[in-house]
Amino acid sequence: MQRWTSKPLPLPVDPQAPYKRVDLEFEGVEHDGSSYVALVYLNNRRVDADTGRDPTKRFAAGFTVFAHGDCWGGDDHCKVPEPASPFDRRPEHRLTPQNITLDITDAVEALGDVDQLEVTVVATATIDSEDVLRFSDLSLVTYE
Amino acid sequence: MTVVAQAKGRRTRARLKLRRSATKLEDEWFESFRDVIKEALRRRDDRGYQYFAGWHGVPFGWCWHGDPRFLPWHRAYLYYFELALQDIDPDVTLPWWDWATSDDIPRAYALRRVGGKANPLFSVAIEPMTSRRDPSWPRRTSRAVGSVAITLPPPWRDRWDWAQQAPSFTEFDRRISLLHNNVHGWVAGTMGEVAWAAYDPIFWAHHVMIDRAWRIWQHNHPGARPPAEILDEPLEPRGMTVRETLDVKALGYDYAGTAARVPGTRPAGGG
Repeated sequence: MQRWTSKPLPLPVDPQAPYKRVDLEFEGVEHDGSSYVALVYLNNRRVDADTGRDPTKRFAAGFTVFAHGDCWGGDDHCKVPEPASPFDRRPEHRLTPQNITLDITDAVEALGDVDQLEVTVVATATIDSEDVLRFSDLSLVTYE
Repeated sequence: MTVVAQAKGRRTRARLKLRRSATKLEDEWFESFRDVIKEALRRRDDRGYQYFAGWHGVPFGWCWHGDPRFLPWHRAYLYYFELALQDIDPDVTLPWWDWATSDDIPRAYALRRVGGKANPLFSVAIEPMTSRRDPSWPRRTSRAVGSVAITLPPPWRDRWDWAQQAPSFTEFDRRISLLHNNVHGWVAGTMGEVAWAAYDPIFWAHHVMIDRAWRIWQHNHPGARPPAEILDEPLEPRGMTVRETLDVKALGYDYAGTAARVPGTRPAGGG
């Protein structure tokens, strides 16, 4: 089990333009190695693999990363290359990191008046593996 | 159900083949289906089970996930695999696992043995078509159903409905991908990794259900398409374009809850 907690993300509240939807965007999610299930909690660090999808523990959303598994090729087979040239028309490498979007509107509304969110992710691999959760950035996006 | 299809320069009447729910198919049907799978396993060339299983992960790795090609590529994949099975039995189609309404893997895929023999829908040998072998590679498919306790268990009716309510292709793709990944994670074992998943026979029934979800969503969103920049892109390895995957009837199949047929005024074969 791996647990990760974000730095606080500001959640501006404008009474003149209230949000109608709130998304969390996990950017640059790597998906080599072991598949895993990730559960996302808001403003609650005291969660672990046994907490589950309990809204009273501020569970917001979950997702599964269906990952590649161990590399089956030769050296650098699973290394994502840069395009060889502007004329390189090959499709991108299959392990190019992905973005995962989660709609957390209901969970945010359940928190009531808060002006920032701290996101905790608990990731459990489908086979024994550590540090499966690897991504470049986390964004909080609201829509009016 | 018939459509007019273009075949080798002449117009001919072609009958669509209907895919059906695994939970509604009879034991006798699965008896024939198992024979087809056994024959596909015996074929050790580019018509056989191991070859097609290898498209997804080891050794070829042509599948797409987390990308707008996800649905088109897997539709083409099912199409070519189903044709390979129809080369063995022209009447066979790939059944779907209706995980929206059933709470377990269909019985036909869950039985270890049938009629005193190993069930090829439960587990098969993994023999990738490559000269490169690694001792760590699995030798047979296996499942670890529900082993990750926090994975949502079936039925996934609410997730199905949520996906069907998506207003655009991009949003449908996002929602159905999340559900698709959850199914792989719930079955786990061989199904839990891109590298090996397609070797497990339940993979095909799962992906037929995903393809069916897209088909039903298309019914309600006529004209909705993947992003324009990929429409004319050929999909590996056989070059079907994304655009060519959009119409299942043009590919010769459809999905049926029920289907009935009676002779018309000029029955087929009636002269």
